[in-house]
Amino acid sequence: MKVDVVIIGAGPAGIVSSIELAKRGLKTVVIDEYFKPGGRLLGQLYEDPNLPKENRQWNGKVIASQLIDEAVALGVTFICQTTVWKIEESFIVYITDKDIKEIHAKSIILATGALEKALPVPGWTKVGVISVGAAQTFTNLHNVKVGERILFVGIDPLSISVAIEMKNSGIDVLGMVLPTPSTLSGFKSDPKTILESLALVSNLAPNKLFRFFGKFVKGKISSITLSILKYNLIKINGIPIFLRKAVTEINGVHEVESVTIRELSTKGEIMQGKVETLVVDTVCISGGLLPLVDSTQLVNCKLVDIPEIGGIVPLHNKYLKTTVNGVYVAGNITGIEGAKVAMAQGKLAALSLLNDLQLVEQAELLEAYDLVEEARKASPILFQPDIRKGRNIMQEKWEEYCASGSVVS
Amino acid sequence: MKPVNLTNQVEVEQLKKVSFIFNGKCLTGYKGQPIAAALFANGIRTIRYCEVTGEPRGIFCGIGHCFECRATVNGIPSKRTCLTLLEEGMIVSSDKKIGSGADFYES
Ligand SMILES: Cc1cc2nc3c(=O)[nH]c(=O)nc-3n(C[C@H](O)[C@H](O)[C@H](O)COP(=O)(O)OP(=O)(O)OC[C@H]3O[C@@H](n4cnc5c(N)ncnc54)[C@H](O)[C@@H]3O)c2cc1C
Ligand code: FES
Repeated sequence: MKVDVVIIGAGPAGIVSSIELAKRGLKTVVIDEYFKPGGRLLGQLYEDPNLPKENRQWNGKVIASQLIDEAVALGVTFICQTTVWKIEESFIVYITDKDIKEIHAKSIILATGALEKALPVPGWTKVGVISVGAAQTFTNLHNVKVGERILFVGIDPLSISVAIEMKNSGIDVLGMVLPTPSTLSGFKSDPKTILESLALVSNLAPNKLFRFFGKFVKGKISSITLSILKYNLIKINGIPIFLRKAVTEINGVHEVESVTIRELSTKGEIMQGKVETLVVDTVCISGGLLPLVDSTQLVNCKLVDIPEIGGIVPLHNKYLKTTVNGVYVAGNITGIEGAKVAMAQGKLAALSLLNDLQLVEQAELLEAYDLVEEARKASPILFQPDIRKGRNIMQEKWEEYCASGSVVS
Repeated sequence: MKPVNLTNQVEVEQLKKVSFIFNGKCLTGYKGQPIAAALFANGIRTIRYCEVTGEPRGIFCGIGHCFECRATVNGIPSKRTCLTLLEEGMIVSSDKKIGSGADFYES
């Protein structure tokens, strides 16, 4: 098979890229290892306060299917249930499909999205302990109930958003607590950091009290707030957020039956004294997200570690070009952000590629660049508080790389 | 666990009903849903037993990354049930502890 562009990953970033390329006449194929295209957009279902009042629902499944229809109508080919396992220079892409073994392409866009971080808690291998992504996928995409009485472990923008989605679908969400403090849980067990991070989702919650906390908990105020929070004041859409409690053990013989919960000090240490047992049948763990960068190793992109954008990512310029000529990146592989940003980046990567081929004007590229920041402003969830700083660090590192005489290969 | 309750009943009912077998029991599900989802809908969450300890295991990540949900499907072992789509007449069985035969909790 011969094409102009191979896109790896059919999430919002990859699909939007494919649409932009196909519009300008480039033959494009999108490869995804899941059984249908859409990526993490497929599980998203929530009220977005930034959308017009008449229709506030952000229904990822519907958005994905509209985008896919548009791409297919423009002639884009999707190959699902297929993994890319090798890429040879300029470029032969080897895939696991039964019929098509290799695809020859002039350019590549890597749009493989993100991965959930593991957050081990004693008892987490028991049946009934699932990740927050599984909860979201099974509830919103597969339409099955994952449990009757659920407790969330790990309080962050994603777990709060999924807890609200699950409650809306009729599941009894008993609350959200922190994980057992350990070397692996890190800041995830620190009530103060978590409280401050709640500001990042305050747009998502209609609850006034929560919005108040979202805006005002910084520095000194958060210490005071925390000592009050022992009496758990915060509720988001009726879901209690226990910032001073941690799960120390998940119990059950065959499947999850209960959890052991203990109080935390304002500094996040386990306090001696009261031990609670809460009867639950499901525990949903949220450890945060990491860019999924495996595919960059197939083409030898240079990687850099920037914690502000979510960890190790391929080095790229502001137009999403990597250190390997002809290879571009878009979406969560460049850092953890919401679906709207991923879509805007999909467009930017496509225009960057088209600009390099002199198929679009510079002005169009600059316009696409501005749309990414607009999408960021319109996002109801901010996954990384210092994302803008992180993006600037990336640009500095790119300039350093170019100045060091390393030619973009 | 109580079975089913689909959050979006309408959407699922448009799919075709099929029967399949899990560990010798005949169950129904919908064609094209992941096997793990069909098992959930039948109130079943234990999909396999750890090869080493025999402890029960179910889905964890739900999207093909963790390999916790493996089962033997139509004779092929270690298929991820969160990714493998249900078809009429499928025979699914739990992968079990290797060796002695008895499960961790039975011995
Ligand atoms: C569990 C989870 C829940 C999320 N929930 C939300 C939310 O509620 N709201 C929100 O705004 N954002 C959410 N996000 C962030 C989310 O990543 C973005 O919204 C958006 O989906 C990112 O788009 P993307 O195109 O970069 O990647 P994705 O949507 O993740 O798509 C990447 C695609 O690439 C495929 N892929 C990966 N590697 C390969 C490979 N080697 N070969 C072939 N295919 C491959 C994957 O199967 C996937 O379909 C969530 C992320 C995760 C992980
Ligand atoms: S549940 Fe993780 S691979 Fe199936």
